[in-house]
Amino acid sequence: MRILHNITVYTAIISFTMLFTACSNEQDKAGPPELPTAVDTAAAGLSDKAAMVTDSNREESQAVVLLRGLPTLGTHHSVAIVELDPDAENFGDILHEFEISDLQAPLHHLYYSPTGRLYATGLDPKCSLAEIDLTRNASGAPVINGVDCLDTQGQQVGEDIMWHSVNGTQYMFVTFMAGTGIEQTDGGSLSVFDAQSNEVIKIIEARKSQVAEGEPYIMYPHGISAYQDRMLISSTIHADLATGVGNAITVIDLNTFTPVETITVEDAKPVGFPSAPVEVLFVRPSIVDNVAPHVLVNTMFGFETWQIPYNEVDKTFGPPVKIYDGVTQNTGVPLEFYGNATELFISHAIPGVVKRYALASLPELVSSGPDIKSEAGAHHMIFYPGKSGRQLIAVQNNLLNLGNAADNDPTDLDFIAKVNDHSITVHDLQTGDRLASINFKDKYRKGIDNVEALFGSGFTHHH
Amino acid sequence: MASTVIATVVTTVIAFVIFRSDGEPALATPLTGFSAPFVFGRFNVPKGNPLTVEAVALGRRLFYDVRLSANNSISCATCHMQHLAFTDGKPTAIGISGKKLAFNSMSLANLLWGSEHFFWNGRADSLEQQALIPIQDIDEMGQNLDELVVELNADAHYKAMFAAAYGDINADNIAKALSAFERTLVSSNSKYDQYLRGEATLTDQEDLGRKLFVAHPDVKTSLRGGNCIDCHSQFLTAGFKPLYDGFSNNGLDNEENLSMGLQIVTNDPAHRGFFKVPTLRNIAVTAPYMHDGRLASLDDVLDHYNEGTQLSSTLSPLIMEADNVVRGAQEPISLNLSDNEKRAIIAFLHTLTDHDFLTNKSISSPF
Repeated sequence: MRILHNITVYTAIISFTMLFTACSNEQDKAGPPELPTAVDTAAAGLSDKAAMVTDSNREESQAVVLLRGLPTLGTHHSVAIVELDPDAENFGDILHEFEISDLQAPLHHLYYSPTGRLYATGLDPKCSLAEIDLTRNASGAPVINGVDCLDTQGQQVGEDIMWHSVNGTQYMFVTFMAGTGIEQTDGGSLSVFDAQSNEVIKIIEARKSQVAEGEPYIMYPHGISAYQDRMLISSTIHADLATGVGNAITVIDLNTFTPVETITVEDAKPVGFPSAPVEVLFVRPSIVDNVAPHVLVNTMFGFETWQIPYNEVDKTFGPPVKIYDGVTQNTGVPLEFYGNATELFISHAIPGVVKRYALASLPELVSSGPDIKSEAGAHHMIFYPGKSGRQLIAVQNNLLNLGNAADNDPTDLDFIAKVNDHSITVHDLQTGDRLASINFKDKYRKGIDNVEALFGSGFTHHH
Repeated sequence: MASTVIATVVTTVIAFVIFRSDGEPALATPLTGFSAPFVFGRFNVPKGNPLTVEAVALGRRLFYDVRLSANNSISCATCHMQHLAFTDGKPTAIGISGKKLAFNSMSLANLLWGSEHFFWNGRADSLEQQALIPIQDIDEMGQNLDELVVELNADAHYKAMFAAAYGDINADNIAKALSAFERTLVSSNSKYDQYLRGEATLTDQEDLGRKLFVAHPDVKTSLRGGNCIDCHSQFLTAGFKPLYDGFSNNGLDNEENLSMGLQIVTNDPAHRGFFKVPTLRNIAVTAPYMHDGRLASLDDVLDHYNEGTQLSSTLSPLIMEADNVVRGAQEPISLNLSDNEKRAIIAFLHTLTDHDFLTNKSISSPF
């Protein structure tokens, strides 16, 4: 990923971030709880039933993480498996790690396919999309044998992946923020892959400069969601983080794989820039029983969450309605949507908080519990049970996994360093109380780009 | 993959063994070539019996050795034949006594996963415990373990192999070796596995069968399903692991004819008629079916679930309420699958046949 410093563009954001840094520092920073002593129940004999009890090594609390080598700290990018149960004696330990030393920029986001294959999008032009070879060794432990960079036909800066069936055929859809070339000022693509062979079937592009005025366009796509034969992708920000910022979502007709509508999602500009819609979620009956389908959109620089009604009979979208205003709520840079059976969770990088809402109340955002106060850069999350039985949420706290000027890291953008805590914080899901945290920069001299539950997703709704 | 694992094993020549003073082997080679699909899930290998090259090689030899039976006429492989996915094609097994035994010979594929209670009624809590039971059973192999130890001690080759793997020749180490070999019987290269890895494409009929396999029917949303996945997990196609989740009453008998099943182990009346949910890997070659081999074909199996389910007090509620049409209170339990859907499910079940597993010479008889 080519990073251009552009202080001008982000001056306002820096200021906004600084305002909230204090809030972040005031959060409870309790350390890990005192851990119980582990009991080794394994033994060799055969006569005693208990002797055959083995190290069960709970995988429910393990996660796959994408780590970014920090150049000034002499570390390499990697894919790692970590233990995230605060009650485990090895909490925070890397159980297995596969280093990727030949990429300038790290892998970006992890996704499991419906058939259990592990994929990652990537920021390095040499590896914008990859399949990760994950198997088990003779002790049963998961091991990563390799990372296979896939042919994207030149598409760069992979962001989100979604598997979706169209007329009975399942495809893998991937957004490429830099489209077919990062040098394009208004590029970006949505790619349709054969879900079995990983081969590109179609690259969907519609650059604003190449379509007629008023025609739908695709620019800097990141977020992705779909319902029936309609897919939505967001227009976020140029991959160099400097050339341009989007303010719309684009509707794709999956019968023809063509863009049919671009909807502007923008109101106030709290930092003076376009809204930068980032993640979208097509709320649909498979997520909420009997819900009227509608779209939710988080705007990264608008600090807002929007709702767009959808009429599935005539396949039309209504006017966007702002349903959450970060400026008045003291939050900024809303990023991800995640959901479990009863709640919808939205992460806000500033000040570093995850807000929660009753799924059954959608399309309205009705709070369902206390905020989960994590750290600056609150971003991706997973849900899982600890061995004590309580339900947990782990939040990855990094807006973008870039370096810090204080480390003389050439990838630094001043403001981004302030919304990167380089940590995963683990909380009691019910109360939001923080139970433990791992700072990857302190412990492993690396940043953390993404977290995904090791075996099966710890959530049911993401895109 | 299993072939890789066993290939490593068979090429190992145990020539020199150095003994420690406590009788334990000084050398045991970790099974570094072993690889299994991640999606099969976590498995546990007892710390006291790690998978080693020497242990697996010894277990393989014992598995195929007729000296494990009292009259040196049958081996484990007599009832667990590789080309039948380690079953024997009979409704119920027949041992040295010539009597028909109570249960159908279970496939030994993928024993690392699924329930950790073995036999159809779960009466063994580990593979090591299971291994010695048929050897000693008077109707199965009828072998006295002390005599077997003497017999094996008289064989210099076995003495060397035991020394390399475990140390002494004794009953515990015989059980460990057999278990180690059985743990390497990994079936993971069927067409379905290749599909999961992106290496193969299912036909339309097979894919319809797959979709029905993984769907619990829901008439409210018009989702049609074969209801298989409620007991046979998506990737492993076997029963679930925790506690006794891998056991179920699948409606073979009514209340009056319900056999003990898992209740004989747990003493819990709620487990009456519960039997182990088997792996469906290679199911097309393991007929006849069910714990007593009463169903001759996959057509019979589909007919059972579609229209032959018997009501009893312990019948799986997931079977009881599953239906593809709205069912009246007095109507019999039925999935109400169409003939086309039944054929599709059977077509999918055929994609679970792993020809590599059935023919791999590295897990066949070493004799």
